[in-house]
Formats: sequence, structure tokens, C-alpha cells
Amino acid sequence: MKSLKELFGGGARQFGMVFALLALVLIFQISTGGKVLTPTNVQNIINGNSYVLILAIGMVLVIIAGHIDLSVGSVAAVVGIIVALAIRDWGIPWWLGVLLGLAVGAVIGAWQGFWVAYVGIPGFITTLAGMMFFRGANQYIGKSNTIPVPKEIQYLGAGYLPEWGPNTGLNNSTLVLGIAAIAAVVWVETRRRRSAVRLGAEPAPVWVSAVRVVALGAVIAYLTFLFGGGRVGTSFPFSGVILAALVLIYGFLSTRTVTGRHVYAVGGNKVAASLSGVNIRRTNFFVMMNMSVLAALAGIVFIGRSTASGPFDGTNWELDAIAAVFIGGAAVSGGVGTVAGSVIGGLVMAVLNNGLQLMGVGSDLTQMIKGLVLLAAVAFDVYNKGGRTSIFSRLFKSRGGDGTANLTPAVAGTTSMQG
Amino acid sequence: MTAGTTQRRPLLSMRQITKRFGAVEALVGVDLDVHAGEVVAMVGDNGAGKSTLAKVIAGVLQPEAGLIELGGEEVTVPTPAAAHALGISIVFQDLALCENLSVADNIFLGRERRVMRGGPMDRDGMELAARSILRDLTVNIPSVRTPVRELSAGQRQAVAIARTLTSEPRLLVLDEPTAALSVVQTAEVLTLVQRLRDLGLGVIIIGHNLADLRAVSDRIEVLRHGRNNGSFESATAHPEEIIAAIAGAGRVPEPRWSTAP
Ligand SMILES: Nc1ncnc2c1ncn2[C@@H]1O[C@H](COP(=O)(O)OP(=O)(O)OP(=O)(O)O)[C@@H](O)[C@H]1O
Ligand SMILES: [Mg+2]
Repeated sequence: MKSLKELFGGGARQFGMVFALLALVLIFQISTGGKVLTPTNVQNIINGNSYVLILAIGMVLVIIAGHIDLSVGSVAAVVGIIVALAIRDWGIPWWLGVLLGLAVGAVIGAWQGFWVAYVGIPGFITTLAGMMFFRGANQYIGKSNTIPVPKEIQYLGAGYLPEWGPNTGLNNSTLVLGIAAIAAVVWVETRRRRSAVRLGAEPAPVWVSAVRVVALGAVIAYLTFLFGGGRVGTSFPFSGVILAALVLIYGFLSTRTVTGRHVYAVGGNKVAASLSGVNIRRTNFFVMMNMSVLAALAGIVFIGRSTASGPFDGTNWELDAIAAVFIGGAAVSGGVGTVAGSVIGGLVMAVLNNGLQLMGVGSDLTQMIKGLVLLAAVAFDVYNKGGRTSIFSRLFKSRGGDGTANLTPAVAGTTSMQG
Repeated sequence: MTAGTTQRRPLLSMRQITKRFGAVEALVGVDLDVHAGEVVAMVGDNGAGKSTLAKVIAGVLQPEAGLIELGGEEVTVPTPAAAHALGISIVFQDLALCENLSVADNIFLGRERRVMRGGPMDRDGMELAARSILRDLTVNIPSVRTPVRELSAGQRQAVAIARTLTSEPRLLVLDEPTAALSVVQTAEVLTLVQRLRDLGLGVIIIGHNLADLRAVSDRIEVLRHGRNNGSFESATAHPEEIIAAIAGAGRVPEPRWSTAP
């Protein structure tokens, strides 16, 4: 079992997540008679969920830092209408519209970050207010109309990577992407081993590394054929490329940068972080602002997919994003969670939606099942104490040290008092 | 032990430090000197102001009045980061660790090393350094990647102390470092304190166990109601005298500290 965990690098939790996703896909694949793993369907899953997954990436940082953001759907909606109107009425080029949208997101994020980080209003309240305000703003600015967006924006949300080069039977862009991904897997694995050696720790057995690389490589190769082997003109969706880039960027940010480390520290123990010299306000400001920028991006991707911005865009997105993050292993009390886990959590929800729909299950039942899955996933974690500090484990946690003391000598080696 | 050191200019010199929390006078005109290679024990009843004084030294709290000199130069300590830059390290009474982060993460929290200016963290470098610090302290911790959540109280204490040694500090403040520890663990932390003193650090150790503190320190300073209330040579003072100073009964040996008759 230990080697099995090592296979997935991140311990039982990540293992469980990936396993659940694979199991879900297989179950639906069988019960729908093979309708899930078709090029068109997987392309639809990505296109139809990329905006929620983008939100989940921002949301997990907010939740790790110990906050919540309820305004993301409304922020996405107000940015969508501003971008659509600016392009149609002011005649600005599409890319300027995108930049404008991201800038509006940054301003909104700075506004909410100000209240949370510098005034000390809880994120829940600040963003509940934002949820109402920006929903209203969307409808006020757009006069509750639906405004179409140009082709280029549509490409962001529903486009596919271009065809080029020799006929390989696959979309060549997708093929290149797949090969790059496999190369990255190999590179990461060698780095992981080298880092273990440098630390003097024993790296995982070679077969573990080999199995991990081969298994991941096989999955990526299969996905490459799946996404790239559809009808001509389709491929890995462009929104999926945006998403993949964000996963890499934010995965790096959260685990490798000082900013990311401080987000975890603030969520884990705000007082300790502050005494250690972590700038709490700047960290809180960053997560809130970042969330709104990503919400703006999600809004732009969405109006691209639906070819227009409307007054009810983004309704309930905050709930989908939050659910994805918690299914992905984040803790309600903050300090725990991963970018990759949240995206996998979002994919679990997406596959669930998609599979049930393909099976002909109505949206009423689908909603009920999704609710139960969220509850079960978090309950499973709490029960297993799978590395998260849940509300449950907080209740039984010792402050400082009492019950847990004296298990191991603190400073072993010398026991004499006077030197 | 102090004979040679008291002649030299003190490493840390605090004069007339005053700190209020609303109506509470946590510190009133407190003086304190610490020399390099000296361990000063700080005792006093609960609420006497010991932790407040430690936090003033560590840049967590700002005094309303008073003078702080470090190595003969007047300094201000506006933030914990500034204290760190001045070579002051502190272990807080409540440890101040992030339980969700690993041992190495905690040891370098707030002063992470980077591979280059403005670049990502040097995680390998920090883990290696954390390991060597813990090895120097002869601390038994399974791996620097273990989350602090999974450590015993004594191991956490060791991590908290290791935190202070990431950059070579000149002055170490330990606020009740043995409060959560067993007898054996306490003895080991006290041994550690002496090792740090022998390295030439100035150490302030706050605590309640007089026997332990007398054994480990060169001098004992008593605080009472936020005021200096006596200064004792650890080697020669009688415990009853110190207890009297803590409790406020009886005479006070060195009247120059005292504001009350
Ligand atoms: N942040 C704060 N806000 C208000 N009052 C405070 C604060 N910190 C300390 N005090 C008060 O200042 C006084 C001194 O507290 P301090 O923590 O320095 O005592 P102490 O000597 O460390 O006690 P103990 O032995 O219990 O740790 C107490 O009366 C305390 O209530
Ligand atoms: Mg105290």
C-alpha cells in the first residue's frame, strides 16, 4: 500500500481522487455503452466546464487562505457584459476587450481584497455583497439584454487547436501537446528522484517511478488519440489549453513560490504566520484579487462558448467552484488543498453531470446525486482524516501540547543537564 | 560565570520600557541588560509582563516609551522581520507554528530562501539547511517533510527553537520553552540553551520553574506588575529571596531597579 501511494506521489488523498475520477469514467463508459469516451464527448466535457475549472483554481487559493468567494459568478457576468459591449459599441479589437475584461476583474478584485484584507470584513460577507452588487451591475449595464461577441472571443471558449502539417490521422497540434506532456512527466519524475537523492533520502524504488511514468504516459497518449482523433477541425479545445496553462502556473505558484507558501501559512495559523513575518494583509489581498481576475477570465471564456453575454450568465458558478475545491480535498478551516486536486474535483463533477445526462437521467436527479457526492467526498475525508484539518479534527486538536506530549524525545542524544 | 561578562558593554540594553494595553500597564519603566554569552532568566507571576517584554524585543509589540540598544547602538524593532535582520530570534510562548506546513516549511517561514532574487523558493536548499540545523541540535525528527501536525509537543518545541537558528542570531528569546515538556525533554532543552550560550549568544529564557532556571542561567531578573522587582545572581541567590520578589513580599535586594519603597 505504501508503494501504491508513492505511485501517485501525493499520498492517499490524491490517489483516491484520481482513482475516483477513473472509476467514474469507466462506470459511465460501460453503462452508456461507450458514449463517454468519444472525441466529441470529451471535447464537450472540457468546453462545457473549463470556466468552472478556471474558477476552481482561484477558489482553492481563497479557501486555503481561510476565506470563501461567493461573488465569482456575478463578477464573471459583469465582466462578460462589459467585454461584449465594449467590443460591439466602442469598436475596440477583441484582444483589447479581453485585456479590458481582465483589468475590470483586477479592479473588482482589488475592491474586494481591500475590504477583506485591510478592513477585516469576512470574505463571506464581502463577496456576498459582491455577488448581489455585480449581478445587478451586469443587468444594469447590459439592460438585461443578450449581447453577441465576435468570432475571436468565441474561439477562446469553443475553438479548437489548428490543423497543420502532414496527415498523421490525428490533429497535429494535439499530438505535439501530448508529446510535450509526456516529456514533462518524465522530466518531473527524474527531478523528483534527483531532489530525493540530494536530500539524502532514499528515492522511491525504480519500479515505482517506472510504473508511474508509464501509467501517466499511457493515459496522456490515450487522451491525445481521443482528443486529436475526432472529426477534422476538432481537437483538444482551446479553453482546455488555457486551463492546462493555468494548472501549471498555479501549481507552480502554490507549491514553489513564497507567495504560495504564505497562502498556506495564513490559512494554517494566521497568528503564527504573522509572528513569523508573513504579511497577512498582502496575502489576503492577493488571493481575493487573483480570484476576481480568474473570474473575469472565466467570464470571457464563457461568453465565447455561448457566443453572447447574457443577464443570467454565471448563476450558481460559485457553488460549482466551491464544490470542486472541497471534493478536491481542501479543508473547510483553511490551510489544506491543492490546485491539481481542485481541478480533478471539478472534473469529477463534470463527468458526473455528463455521464448522468448521457444515461438519460434528468437534471433533478443529477442535482440530488451531485449533492450527495459532495457530502460523501468530504465525509470520507473527515472520517479518514486524510491529511486534512477538518472541522471535525479541529474539535479534537490539542493546542500547544497536552495529550500528544512525551511520545518521542524532543532533543535526543544528550541527556545530561550540565555540560 | 558572569564575572568576565558584566564588565563588557551589554549586547542588549533596554531602558525604561513602557507598554500599555488600554488601562492595563503591562510594562512600566522596565530595564534589562543581556550580555553576549550570558543566559538571563526572566521570572514573574502570571501576567507580570514577561511575554510582553519578549514581544517588544521581537518587534511584535511597540513600546510607548523607552530605549533599546543592541550592540551599543540605539535601534527600533518595528516588525518581526526587522528583529530577525538585527539578529534577534524568539520562540514564542504559544510556539507559533503552522501545523499544516512541514518541519522545513515552518523553520523557514517568513524568511524563505529563493533560488534567485524574486525567483521561486529554493526548497531543496531549505530542506537541507533545516536538516543540518536539526542535526546540530541533535533533534530526533523523522523527516523535515513531516507536517508539524504529526509531531509531539517536544518535537514541536525543537522545531520552534530550530526556527531561530536559520540565520546566525546574536540574541535568543525563549518564552517558556519547556512549558509543554516532560522532565527528560526539559533537561534536553536546557542543555541546548547552554550550548547556545557557549556559542556566544545572549539568551533570555522566560519560565516558572526556579530550580531549572537557576541551573541554566547566569542571572535571574524578576518582573512584578510590569516592573523590575529584583535581580539575582543565579549561583548565589536563595530561592526564598527570588520567590519573595516574585510574590512581592519582603525586601527587594537591589533597590536601584525598584520604584516602590
Ligand atoms: N494583546 C494584549 N491585549 C491586551 N492585554 C494584553 C495583551 N497581551 C498581554 N496583555 C496583558 O498584559 C499583561 C502582561 O501579560 P504577559 O502576557 O506579558 O504576562 P506573562 O508574564 O507572560 O504571563 P504568563 O506567565 O502567564 O505567560 C497581562 O495583564 C495581560 O492581560
Ligand atoms: Mg507569558
